[in-house]
Amino acid sequence: MRGKVAIIGVGMIPFGELFEMGLEEMVQQAYINCLNSVDKGISTKDIKAAWFGQWSGGGMIGQGALCGASLATMIGNREIPITRTENGCPTGSDAFRNACLGVASGVYDVVLAMGAEKMRDKPGVESLIAAGGGGGGILGLHPSWMLGMGGPVLQALYATRQMHELGYTMEDYARVAVKNHHNGVACPYAHYRFEVTMERVLNSPIVCWPLHLLDCCPQTDGAACAIVCRADIAKSFTDKPVYVLGSNTGLDHKNMWDKHSFVEMLSTVRAARGAFEMAGIKPDDVDFAEIHDCFTNTELMNLEDIGFCKKGEAANLLREGYWNRDGAKPINPSGGLKAHGHPIAATGIGQICENYWQLREEVEPERQVKLKNGIALSHNVGGDAFGVSCVTILSRSL
Amino acid sequence: MVQPAPASPLFWRFNPEIYQRMGMKCSDCGHITYPRRKICPECGSFNVKEHQLSKTGKVHTFCINWTPPPNLEPPIVNVIVDLDGGGRYQGLITEVANPEDVTIGTKVEMVLRKVMTDRGLNIYGYKFRLVEEG
Repeated sequence: MRGKVAIIGVGMIPFGELFEMGLEEMVQQAYINCLNSVDKGISTKDIKAAWFGQWSGGGMIGQGALCGASLATMIGNREIPITRTENGCPTGSDAFRNACLGVASGVYDVVLAMGAEKMRDKPGVESLIAAGGGGGGILGLHPSWMLGMGGPVLQALYATRQMHELGYTMEDYARVAVKNHHNGVACPYAHYRFEVTMERVLNSPIVCWPLHLLDCCPQTDGAACAIVCRADIAKSFTDKPVYVLGSNTGLDHKNMWDKHSFVEMLSTVRAARGAFEMAGIKPDDVDFAEIHDCFTNTELMNLEDIGFCKKGEAANLLREGYWNRDGAKPINPSGGLKAHGHPIAATGIGQICENYWQLREEVEPERQVKLKNGIALSHNVGGDAFGVSCVTILSRSL
Repeated sequence: MVQPAPASPLFWRFNPEIYQRMGMKCSDCGHITYPRRKICPECGSFNVKEHQLSKTGKVHTFCINWTPPPNLEPPIVNVIVDLDGGGRYQGLITEVANPEDVTIGTKVEMVLRKVMTDRGLNIYGYKFRLVEEG
Protein backbone atom coordinates (compact mmCIF):
# COMPACT_ATOMS: atom_id res chain seq x y z
CA MET A 1 0.00 0.00 0.00
CA ARG A 2 1.36 3.43 -0.92
CA GLY A 3 -0.07 5.25 2.11
CA LYS A 4 1.01 3.31 5.23
CA VAL A 5 -1.76 2.23 7.60
CA ALA A 6 -1.66 1.03 11.22
CA ILE A 7 -4.15 -0.55 13.60
CA ILE A 8 -4.24 1.24 16.95
CA GLY A 9 -7.14 -0.50 18.65
CA VAL A 10 -9.52 -3.43 18.26
CA GLY A 11 -12.65 -4.59 20.05
CA MET A 12 -14.70 -7.75 19.97
CA ILE A 13 -17.40 -9.38 22.04
CA PRO A 14 -17.39 -13.10 22.86
CA PHE A 15 -19.10 -14.84 19.93
CA GLY A 16 -22.00 -17.20 20.54
CA GLU A 17 -25.75 -17.60 20.61
CA LEU A 18 -26.36 -14.16 22.04
CA PHE A 19 -30.14 -14.25 22.43
CA GLU A 20 -29.90 -11.58 25.12
CA MET A 21 -28.23 -9.05 22.79
CA GLY A 22 -29.57 -7.28 19.72
CA LEU A 23 -27.44 -6.07 16.82
CA GLU A 24 -27.20 -2.59 18.33
CA GLU A 25 -26.00 -3.79 21.72
CA MET A 26 -23.40 -6.06 20.15
CA VAL A 27 -22.10 -3.20 17.98
CA GLN A 28 -22.00 -0.77 20.92
CA GLN A 29 -20.13 -3.22 23.17
CA ALA A 30 -17.54 -4.02 20.48
CA TYR A 31 -17.12 -0.26 19.83
CA ILE A 32 -16.65 0.54 23.54
CA ASN A 33 -14.15 -2.33 23.89
CA CYS A 34 -12.29 -1.00 20.85
CA LEU A 35 -12.05 2.60 22.13
CA ASN A 36 -10.91 1.34 25.54
CA SER A 37 -8.21 -0.80 23.90
CA VAL A 38 -6.32 2.22 22.54
CA ASP A 39 -3.29 2.37 24.87
CA LYS A 40 -2.91 6.16 25.04
CA GLY A 41 -6.63 6.84 24.65
CA ILE A 42 -8.71 8.15 21.78
CA SER A 43 -11.63 10.52 21.46
CA THR A 44 -14.63 9.47 19.39
CA LYS A 45 -14.12 12.80 17.62
CA ASP A 46 -10.79 11.54 16.25
CA ILE A 47 -12.66 9.05 14.05
CA LYS A 48 -13.36 10.74 10.71
CA ALA A 49 -15.13 8.00 8.73
CA ALA A 50 -16.39 4.44 9.14
CA TRP A 51 -17.16 1.34 7.13
CA PHE A 52 -19.93 -0.91 8.42
CA GLY A 53 -19.61 -4.54 7.41
CA GLN A 54 -23.08 -6.05 7.51
CA TRP A 55 -23.97 -9.04 5.39
CA SER A 56 -27.62 -9.98 5.88
CA GLY A 57 -28.86 -6.41 5.64
CA GLY A 58 -31.44 -7.01 8.32
CA GLY A 59 -32.88 -10.10 6.64
CA MET A 60 -31.76 -12.22 9.57
CA ILE A 61 -33.45 -10.04 12.18
CA GLY A 62 -36.49 -8.81 10.29
CA GLN A 63 -35.47 -5.19 10.60
CA GLY A 64 -35.36 -4.15 6.95
CA ALA A 65 -32.23 -2.83 5.28
CA LEU A 66 -29.22 -1.66 7.24
CA CYS A 67 -27.10 1.24 6.02
CA GLY A 68 -24.53 3.81 7.10
CA ALA A 69 -27.16 5.62 9.17
CA SER A 70 -27.71 2.42 11.18
CA LEU A 71 -24.13 2.44 12.42
CA ALA A 72 -24.17 6.24 12.86
CA THR A 73 -27.14 5.86 15.17
CA MET A 74 -25.65 2.90 17.04
CA ILE A 75 -22.37 4.68 17.81
CA GLY A 76 -23.99 8.09 18.26
CA ASN A 77 -21.97 9.80 15.56
CA ARG A 78 -23.87 11.33 12.64
CA GLU A 79 -21.10 13.79 11.75
CA ILE A 80 -18.95 11.41 9.70
CA PRO A 81 -19.48 9.52 6.42
CA ILE A 82 -20.30 5.82 6.92
CA THR A 83 -20.74 3.25 4.17
CA ARG A 84 -22.24 -0.19 4.60
CA THR A 85 -20.15 -2.91 2.95
CA GLU A 86 -21.47 -6.32 1.88
CA ASN A 87 -19.32 -8.85 0.06
CA GLY A 88 -20.36 -12.33 1.12
CA CYS A 89 -18.48 -14.09 3.91
CA PRO A 90 -15.47 -11.74 3.51
CA THR A 91 -17.78 -8.77 4.31
CA GLY A 92 -15.90 -7.83 7.50
CA SER A 93 -12.48 -8.11 5.89
CA ASP A 94 -13.64 -6.04 2.95
CA ALA A 95 -15.07 -3.35 5.24
CA PHE A 96 -11.62 -3.31 6.90
CA ARG A 97 -9.94 -3.12 3.50
CA ASN A 98 -12.08 -0.12 2.53
CA ALA A 99 -11.29 1.55 5.84
CA CYS A 100 -7.57 1.07 5.13
CA LEU A 101 -8.02 2.54 1.65
CA GLY A 102 -9.73 5.54 3.22
CA VAL A 103 -6.57 6.19 5.24
CA ALA A 104 -4.08 5.13 2.54
CA SER A 105 -5.72 7.55 0.09
CA GLY A 106 -4.82 10.42 2.40
CA VAL A 107 -8.43 11.54 2.81
CA TYR A 108 -8.84 10.49 6.47
CA ASP A 109 -6.33 10.19 9.34
CA VAL A 110 -8.32 7.85 11.62
CA VAL A 111 -11.23 5.60 10.64
CA LEU A 112 -13.32 2.74 12.03
CA ALA A 113 -14.17 -0.66 10.52
CA MET A 114 -17.08 -2.44 12.18
CA GLY A 115 -18.61 -5.84 11.41
CA ALA A 116 -21.65 -7.33 13.13
CA GLU A 117 -24.13 -10.09 12.44
CA LYS A 118 -27.13 -11.68 14.15
CA MET A 119 -27.38 -15.27 12.87
CA ARG A 120 -29.35 -16.91 15.66
CA ASP A 121 -32.48 -14.79 16.10
CA LYS A 122 -34.00 -17.07 13.45
CA PRO A 123 -34.44 -20.76 14.32
CA GLY A 124 -31.76 -23.11 12.93
CA VAL A 125 -33.34 -24.18 9.65
CA GLU A 126 -34.63 -20.69 8.79
CA SER A 127 -31.24 -19.24 9.65
CA LEU A 128 -29.44 -21.70 7.36
CA ILE A 129 -31.86 -21.05 4.50
CA ALA A 130 -31.54 -17.29 4.92
CA ALA A 131 -27.77 -17.82 4.77
CA GLY A 132 -27.98 -19.17 1.24
CA GLY A 133 -30.00 -22.36 1.21
CA GLY A 134 -31.65 -23.41 -1.96
CA GLY A 135 -33.17 -20.29 -3.48
CA GLY A 136 -32.29 -19.28 -7.01
CA GLY A 137 -34.58 -16.27 -6.89
CA ILE A 138 -32.32 -14.06 -4.86
CA LEU A 139 -29.44 -14.77 -7.25
CA GLY A 140 -31.50 -13.93 -10.33
CA LEU A 141 -31.20 -17.56 -11.41
CA HIS A 142 -33.97 -19.98 -12.22
CA PRO A 143 -34.82 -22.07 -9.13
CA SER A 144 -34.47 -25.34 -11.03
CA TRP A 145 -30.73 -24.61 -11.32
CA MET A 146 -30.37 -23.92 -7.61
CA LEU A 147 -32.64 -26.62 -6.23
CA GLY A 148 -31.37 -28.09 -2.98
CA MET A 149 -28.25 -25.90 -2.85
CA GLY A 150 -26.86 -24.24 0.28
CA GLY A 151 -23.60 -23.67 2.14
CA PRO A 152 -22.85 -27.30 3.08
CA VAL A 153 -23.71 -28.49 -0.46
CA LEU A 154 -21.33 -26.02 -2.07
CA GLN A 155 -18.47 -27.19 0.12
CA ALA A 156 -19.37 -30.87 -0.04
CA LEU A 157 -19.11 -30.68 -3.86
CA TYR A 158 -15.51 -29.53 -3.35
CA ALA A 159 -14.85 -32.05 -0.56
CA THR A 160 -15.86 -35.00 -2.77
CA ARG A 161 -13.56 -33.85 -5.54
CA GLN A 162 -10.68 -33.26 -3.09
CA MET A 163 -11.07 -36.90 -2.01
CA HIS A 164 -11.07 -38.01 -5.66
CA GLU A 165 -8.17 -35.91 -6.95
CA LEU A 166 -5.98 -35.46 -3.87
CA GLY A 167 -6.77 -38.65 -1.96
CA TYR A 168 -8.13 -36.77 1.06
CA THR A 169 -10.31 -38.73 3.48
CA MET A 170 -13.09 -37.96 5.92
CA GLU A 171 -10.50 -38.59 8.66
CA ASP A 172 -8.35 -35.79 7.19
CA TYR A 173 -11.34 -33.45 7.38
CA ALA A 174 -12.17 -34.55 10.94
CA ARG A 175 -8.60 -33.80 12.01
CA VAL A 176 -9.16 -30.11 11.15
CA ALA A 177 -12.14 -30.03 13.54
CA VAL A 178 -10.10 -31.68 16.30
CA LYS A 179 -7.30 -29.10 15.94
CA ASN A 180 -9.55 -26.05 15.77
CA HIS A 181 -11.80 -27.13 18.65
CA HIS A 182 -8.66 -27.68 20.73
CA ASN A 183 -7.56 -24.12 19.94
CA GLY A 184 -11.03 -22.76 20.68
CA VAL A 185 -11.05 -24.17 24.21
CA ALA A 186 -8.37 -21.69 25.25
CA CYS A 187 -9.91 -18.67 23.52
CA PRO A 188 -12.28 -16.66 25.71
CA TYR A 189 -14.02 -15.15 22.66
CA ALA A 190 -14.82 -18.52 21.02
CA HIS A 191 -18.39 -19.80 20.53
CA TYR A 192 -17.46 -23.48 21.04
CA ARG A 193 -15.04 -24.13 23.86
CA PHE A 194 -15.02 -27.91 23.94
CA GLU A 195 -12.67 -30.57 22.60
CA VAL A 196 -13.80 -33.07 19.98
CA THR A 197 -12.19 -36.40 19.14
CA MET A 198 -11.85 -37.96 15.69
CA GLU A 199 -14.47 -40.53 16.71
CA ARG A 200 -16.92 -37.86 17.79
CA VAL A 201 -16.57 -35.96 14.51
CA LEU A 202 -16.86 -39.12 12.41
CA ASN A 203 -19.86 -40.34 14.42
CA SER A 204 -21.71 -37.04 14.26
CA PRO A 205 -24.68 -36.99 11.84
CA ILE A 206 -23.99 -36.57 8.13
CA VAL A 207 -25.16 -33.12 7.06
CA CYS A 208 -24.10 -33.47 3.47
CA TRP A 209 -21.87 -36.40 2.58
CA PRO A 210 -18.87 -36.32 2.88
CA LEU A 211 -19.34 -33.64 5.58
CA HIS A 212 -20.49 -34.45 9.12
CA LEU A 213 -22.20 -32.03 11.49
CA LEU A 214 -18.88 -31.44 13.27
CA ASP A 215 -17.18 -30.63 9.95
CA CYS A 216 -19.40 -27.52 9.74
CA CYS A 217 -18.94 -24.21 11.53
CA PRO A 218 -21.86 -22.98 13.64
CA GLN A 219 -24.31 -20.14 13.01
CA THR A 220 -23.07 -17.51 15.46
CA ASP A 221 -23.88 -13.99 16.66
CA GLY A 222 -21.04 -11.52 17.08
CA ALA A 223 -19.48 -8.13 16.52
CA ALA A 224 -15.90 -6.95 16.07
CA CYS A 225 -14.22 -3.69 15.08
CA ALA A 226 -10.87 -2.04 14.54
CA ILE A 227 -9.56 1.51 14.37
CA VAL A 228 -6.92 2.23 11.74
CA CYS A 229 -4.90 5.39 11.18
CA ARG A 230 -1.99 6.85 9.23
CA ALA A 231 1.10 4.89 10.23
CA ASP A 232 3.07 8.08 10.93
CA ILE A 233 0.66 9.19 13.67
CA ALA A 234 0.06 5.72 15.15
CA LYS A 235 2.59 6.17 17.97
CA SER A 236 0.52 9.02 19.40
CA PHE A 237 -2.17 6.40 20.16
CA THR A 238 -0.04 3.39 21.12
CA ASP A 239 3.61 2.36 21.38
CA LYS A 240 2.72 -1.00 19.82
CA PRO A 241 0.76 -0.36 16.62
CA VAL A 242 0.24 -3.20 14.19
CA TYR A 243 0.78 -2.31 10.55
CA VAL A 244 -1.34 -3.32 7.58
CA LEU A 245 1.10 -4.56 4.95
CA GLY A 246 -1.45 -5.80 2.46
CA SER A 247 -5.19 -6.19 2.01
CA ASN A 248 -6.75 -7.53 -1.15
CA THR A 249 -10.01 -8.89 -2.52
CA GLY A 250 -9.98 -11.66 -5.15
CA LEU A 251 -12.89 -12.93 -7.21
CA ASP A 252 -14.00 -15.92 -9.24
CA HIS A 253 -17.20 -17.02 -11.02
CA LYS A 254 -20.40 -16.78 -8.96
CA ASN A 255 -21.85 -19.95 -10.49
CA MET A 256 -20.52 -23.38 -9.55
CA TRP A 257 -20.79 -24.71 -13.11
CA ASP A 258 -18.31 -22.11 -14.38
CA LYS A 259 -15.50 -23.15 -12.01
CA HIS A 260 -12.32 -24.48 -13.59
CA SER A 261 -11.64 -26.79 -10.64
CA PHE A 262 -13.19 -28.22 -7.50
CA VAL A 263 -9.94 -28.58 -5.59
CA GLU A 264 -8.89 -24.93 -5.86
CA MET A 265 -10.61 -21.58 -5.35
CA LEU A 266 -9.29 -18.90 -7.69
CA SER A 267 -10.90 -16.23 -5.49
CA THR A 268 -8.46 -17.17 -2.70
CA VAL A 269 -5.54 -17.58 -5.10
CA ARG A 270 -6.13 -14.09 -6.51
CA ALA A 271 -6.73 -12.43 -3.12
CA ALA A 272 -3.56 -13.97 -1.66
CA ARG A 273 -1.37 -13.23 -4.67
CA GLY A 274 -2.36 -9.55 -4.62
CA ALA A 275 -1.97 -9.22 -0.86
CA PHE A 276 1.51 -10.79 -0.86
CA GLU A 277 2.54 -8.53 -3.74
CA MET A 278 1.25 -5.47 -1.90
CA ALA A 279 3.05 -6.52 1.28
CA GLY A 280 6.25 -7.47 -0.55
CA ILE A 281 6.48 -10.76 1.33
CA LYS A 282 6.13 -14.49 0.59
CA PRO A 283 3.85 -17.09 2.22
CA ASP A 284 6.90 -18.48 4.08
CA ASP A 285 7.36 -15.12 5.84
CA VAL A 286 4.00 -15.48 7.63
CA ASP A 287 4.28 -16.73 11.23
CA PHE A 288 0.65 -17.81 11.71
CA ALA A 289 -2.77 -17.28 10.17
CA GLU A 290 -6.50 -17.15 10.75
CA ILE A 291 -8.16 -18.68 7.72
CA HIS A 292 -11.72 -19.41 6.63
CA ASP A 293 -12.58 -22.91 7.90
CA CYS A 294 -16.35 -22.66 7.39
CA PHE A 295 -16.04 -26.39 6.69
CA THR A 296 -13.10 -28.60 7.55
CA ASN A 297 -12.22 -29.43 3.93
CA THR A 298 -12.18 -25.70 3.16
CA GLU A 299 -9.29 -25.15 5.59
CA LEU A 300 -7.13 -27.68 3.73
CA MET A 301 -7.98 -26.10 0.37
CA ASN A 302 -7.30 -22.57 1.65
CA LEU A 303 -3.85 -23.48 3.00
CA GLU A 304 -2.90 -24.68 -0.48
CA ASP A 305 -4.58 -21.81 -2.35
CA ILE A 306 -2.91 -19.16 -0.16
CA GLY A 307 0.43 -20.82 -0.92
CA PHE A 308 1.38 -22.12 2.53
CA CYS A 309 1.94 -25.54 0.92
CA LYS A 310 1.57 -27.29 -2.43
CA LYS A 311 -1.81 -28.62 -3.64
CA GLY A 312 -2.49 -31.95 -1.95
CA GLU A 313 0.01 -31.49 0.91
CA ALA A 314 -2.18 -29.78 3.53
CA ALA A 315 -3.64 -32.97 5.03
CA ASN A 316 -0.24 -34.65 5.51
CA LEU A 317 1.17 -31.55 7.15
CA LEU A 318 -1.87 -31.47 9.45
CA ARG A 319 -1.20 -35.07 10.46
CA GLU A 320 2.41 -34.11 11.29
CA GLY A 321 1.23 -31.23 13.52
CA TYR A 322 2.61 -28.55 11.20
CA TRP A 323 -0.55 -26.40 11.53
CA ASN A 324 -0.97 -26.91 15.30
CA ARG A 325 -0.83 -23.98 17.68
CA ASP A 326 2.67 -25.12 18.72
CA GLY A 327 3.58 -26.26 15.20
CA ALA A 328 5.73 -24.67 12.50
CA LYS A 329 2.86 -22.54 11.16
CA PRO A 330 -0.11 -22.28 13.54
CA ILE A 331 -3.44 -22.04 11.72
CA ASN A 332 -6.53 -20.70 13.46
CA PRO A 333 -5.12 -20.33 16.97
CA SER A 334 -8.45 -18.62 17.86
CA GLY A 335 -10.34 -21.81 17.05
CA GLY A 336 -11.23 -20.58 13.57
CA LEU A 337 -14.76 -20.37 12.24
CA LYS A 338 -15.15 -23.99 13.30
CA ALA A 339 -14.90 -23.25 17.04
CA HIS A 340 -14.71 -19.46 17.32
CA GLY A 341 -17.86 -19.15 15.19
CA HIS A 342 -18.93 -17.41 12.00
CA PRO A 343 -21.06 -14.27 12.49
CA ILE A 344 -20.52 -13.41 8.84
CA ALA A 345 -19.64 -9.69 8.84
CA ALA A 346 -17.90 -9.96 12.23
CA THR A 347 -15.79 -12.98 11.25
CA GLY A 348 -13.11 -11.20 9.20
CA ILE A 349 -12.62 -8.34 11.66
CA GLY A 350 -12.65 -10.88 14.50
CA GLN A 351 -9.68 -12.60 12.82
CA ILE A 352 -7.94 -9.21 12.59
CA CYS A 353 -8.58 -8.64 16.34
CA GLU A 354 -7.05 -12.05 17.11
CA ASN A 355 -4.01 -11.38 14.91
CA TYR A 356 -3.56 -7.92 16.50
CA TRP A 357 -3.57 -9.45 19.99
CA GLN A 358 -1.28 -12.33 18.99
CA LEU A 359 1.22 -9.95 17.33
CA ARG A 360 1.21 -7.76 20.46
CA GLU A 361 1.59 -10.94 22.57
CA GLU A 362 -1.47 -10.08 24.62
CA VAL A 363 -3.39 -13.36 24.54
CA GLU A 364 -3.52 -15.98 27.30
CA PRO A 365 0.02 -17.48 27.65
CA GLU A 366 -1.13 -21.03 26.84
CA ARG A 367 -2.43 -19.99 23.44
CA GLN A 368 0.21 -17.43 22.43
CA VAL A 369 1.86 -18.50 19.17
CA LYS A 370 5.62 -18.21 18.67
CA LEU A 371 6.57 -15.16 16.62
CA LYS A 372 9.53 -15.08 14.27
CA ASN A 373 8.98 -12.37 11.66
CA GLY A 374 6.02 -10.83 13.48
CA ILE A 375 3.75 -11.25 10.44
CA ALA A 376 0.20 -12.64 10.50
CA LEU A 377 -2.34 -13.33 7.76
CA SER A 378 -6.12 -13.58 7.79
CA HIS A 379 -8.36 -14.93 5.05
CA ASN A 380 -12.04 -15.25 4.17
CA VAL A 381 -13.78 -16.83 1.24
CA GLY A 382 -17.50 -16.89 0.46
CA GLY A 383 -20.30 -15.18 -1.38
CA ASP A 384 -22.09 -16.83 -4.30
CA ALA A 385 -20.27 -20.11 -5.05
CA PHE A 386 -17.31 -18.95 -2.92
CA GLY A 387 -16.49 -16.37 -5.57
CA VAL A 388 -15.19 -13.70 -3.15
CA SER A 389 -12.06 -13.83 -1.01
CA CYS A 390 -10.17 -11.33 1.14
CA VAL A 391 -6.64 -11.65 2.48
CA THR A 392 -5.19 -9.25 5.05
CA ILE A 393 -1.53 -9.23 6.09
CA LEU A 394 -0.51 -7.57 9.38
CA SER A 395 2.95 -6.94 10.81
CA ARG A 396 4.59 -5.66 13.98
CA SER A 397 6.93 -3.53 11.89
CA LEU A 398 6.67 -1.57 8.65
CA MET B 1 -36.29 -19.05 1.10
CA VAL B 2 -37.50 -16.35 -1.28
CA GLN B 3 -38.83 -18.05 -4.40
CA PRO B 4 -40.15 -16.19 -7.42
CA ALA B 5 -43.87 -16.69 -8.11
CA PRO B 6 -44.74 -18.85 -11.16
CA ALA B 7 -45.74 -15.72 -13.05
CA SER B 8 -42.42 -14.07 -12.22
CA PRO B 9 -40.53 -12.52 -15.17
CA LEU B 10 -37.67 -14.91 -14.26
CA PHE B 11 -39.66 -17.89 -15.55
CA TRP B 12 -40.66 -16.21 -18.79
CA ARG B 13 -37.15 -14.84 -19.38
CA PHE B 14 -35.41 -18.18 -18.86
CA ASN B 15 -37.80 -20.33 -20.92
CA PRO B 16 -35.26 -21.09 -23.69
CA GLU B 17 -32.57 -21.77 -21.09
CA ILE B 18 -34.68 -24.11 -19.02
CA TYR B 19 -36.67 -26.01 -21.62
CA GLN B 20 -34.41 -25.93 -24.70
CA ARG B 21 -31.18 -26.02 -22.67
CA MET B 22 -29.95 -22.97 -24.55
CA GLY B 23 -26.53 -21.85 -23.38
CA MET B 24 -23.64 -19.70 -24.57
CA LYS B 25 -20.26 -20.44 -26.12
CA CYS B 26 -17.44 -17.93 -26.28
CA SER B 27 -15.89 -17.70 -29.75
CA ASP B 28 -12.62 -16.46 -28.23
CA CYS B 29 -11.90 -18.71 -25.24
CA GLY B 30 -14.36 -21.54 -25.92
CA HIS B 31 -16.05 -21.30 -22.50
CA ILE B 32 -19.52 -22.86 -22.47
CA THR B 33 -22.08 -21.79 -19.87
CA TYR B 34 -25.69 -20.86 -19.17
CA PRO B 35 -27.78 -18.72 -19.02
CA ARG B 36 -27.08 -16.91 -22.30
CA ARG B 37 -25.43 -13.52 -21.94
CA LYS B 38 -23.74 -10.77 -23.92
CA ILE B 39 -20.32 -11.02 -22.27
CA CYS B 40 -18.28 -14.18 -21.61
CA PRO B 41 -17.88 -14.56 -17.82
CA GLU B 42 -14.60 -16.43 -18.30
CA CYS B 43 -12.62 -14.01 -20.48
CA GLY B 44 -14.79 -10.90 -20.90
CA SER B 45 -15.12 -11.29 -24.67
CA PHE B 46 -18.23 -9.84 -26.38
CA ASN B 47 -17.76 -12.40 -29.14
CA VAL B 48 -20.25 -15.01 -27.92
CA LYS B 49 -22.93 -17.12 -29.58
CA GLU B 50 -25.81 -19.37 -28.59
CA HIS B 51 -24.92 -22.94 -27.81
CA GLN B 52 -27.26 -25.89 -27.41
CA LEU B 53 -26.26 -27.81 -24.27
CA SER B 54 -26.21 -31.59 -24.44
CA LYS B 55 -28.65 -33.71 -22.41
CA THR B 56 -26.02 -36.28 -21.46
CA GLY B 57 -22.81 -36.24 -19.52
CA LYS B 58 -20.77 -37.62 -16.64
CA VAL B 59 -20.79 -36.67 -12.95
CA HIS B 60 -17.85 -34.34 -12.21
CA THR B 61 -18.57 -34.09 -8.50
CA PHE B 62 -21.49 -34.82 -6.18
CA CYS B 63 -22.67 -34.89 -2.59
CA ILE B 64 -25.44 -36.62 -0.70
CA ASN B 65 -27.50 -34.00 1.07
CA TRP B 66 -29.31 -35.19 4.21
CA THR B 67 -30.41 -31.70 5.20
CA PRO B 68 -31.98 -30.20 2.07
CA PRO B 69 -34.20 -27.12 2.20
CA PRO B 70 -37.87 -27.75 3.05
CA ASN B 71 -40.04 -29.44 0.38
CA LEU B 72 -37.23 -31.78 -0.63
CA GLU B 73 -37.15 -35.29 0.81
CA PRO B 74 -33.69 -36.38 2.04
CA PRO B 75 -31.41 -37.80 0.87
CA ILE B 76 -31.00 -35.83 -2.32
CA VAL B 77 -27.94 -36.08 -4.54
CA ASN B 78 -26.56 -32.77 -5.82
CA VAL B 79 -24.31 -33.07 -8.86
CA ILE B 80 -22.11 -31.00 -11.14
CA VAL B 81 -22.12 -32.74 -14.52
CA ASP B 82 -19.54 -32.51 -17.34
CA LEU B 83 -21.86 -32.35 -20.35
CA ASP B 84 -20.95 -34.26 -23.50
CA GLY B 85 -19.87 -31.61 -26.00
CA GLY B 86 -18.70 -29.20 -23.30
CA GLY B 87 -19.93 -27.12 -20.42
CA ARG B 88 -21.00 -28.10 -16.91
CA TYR B 89 -24.49 -28.27 -15.42
CA GLN B 90 -25.65 -28.12 -11.81
CA GLY B 91 -28.63 -30.17 -10.69
CA LEU B 92 -30.17 -33.01 -8.74
CA ILE B 93 -30.22 -36.74 -9.38
CA THR B 94 -33.68 -38.28 -9.69
CA GLU B 95 -34.96 -41.87 -9.67
CA VAL B 96 -32.04 -43.36 -7.76
CA ALA B 97 -32.86 -46.02 -5.19
CA ASN B 98 -29.42 -46.00 -3.64
CA PRO B 99 -27.51 -42.68 -3.57
CA GLU B 100 -24.29 -44.69 -3.38
CA ASP B 101 -24.82 -45.70 -7.02
CA VAL B 102 -23.74 -42.16 -7.89
CA THR B 103 -20.02 -41.59 -8.15
CA ILE B 104 -17.55 -39.43 -10.05
CA GLY B 105 -17.71 -40.44 -13.71
CA THR B 106 -21.23 -41.93 -13.54
CA LYS B 107 -23.08 -41.44 -16.86
CA VAL B 108 -26.27 -39.38 -16.54
CA GLU B 109 -28.95 -37.87 -18.77
CA MET B 110 -31.37 -34.99 -18.28
CA VAL B 111 -35.06 -35.68 -17.84
CA LEU B 112 -37.82 -33.09 -17.47
CA ARG B 113 -39.34 -33.34 -14.00
CA LYS B 114 -41.45 -31.28 -11.66
CA VAL B 115 -38.92 -29.45 -9.53
CA MET B 116 -41.28 -27.62 -7.18
CA THR B 117 -44.81 -26.49 -6.51
CA ASP B 118 -45.59 -22.87 -5.88
CA ARG B 119 -49.07 -21.70 -4.85
CA GLY B 120 -50.63 -24.78 -6.40
CA LEU B 121 -48.78 -24.56 -9.71
CA ASN B 122 -46.16 -27.09 -10.82
CA ILE B 123 -42.80 -25.77 -11.94
CA TYR B 124 -40.75 -27.98 -14.28
CA GLY B 125 -37.05 -28.21 -14.95
CA TYR B 126 -34.34 -30.75 -15.71
CA LYS B 127 -33.00 -33.35 -13.32
CA PHE B 128 -30.40 -36.03 -14.01
CA ARG B 129 -31.12 -39.75 -14.26
CA LEU B 130 -28.48 -42.48 -14.21
CA VAL B 131 -27.91 -44.03 -17.64
CA GLU B 132 -28.13 -47.83 -17.58
CA GLU B 133 -24.85 -49.32 -18.79
CA GLY B 134 -24.89 -51.95 -21.57
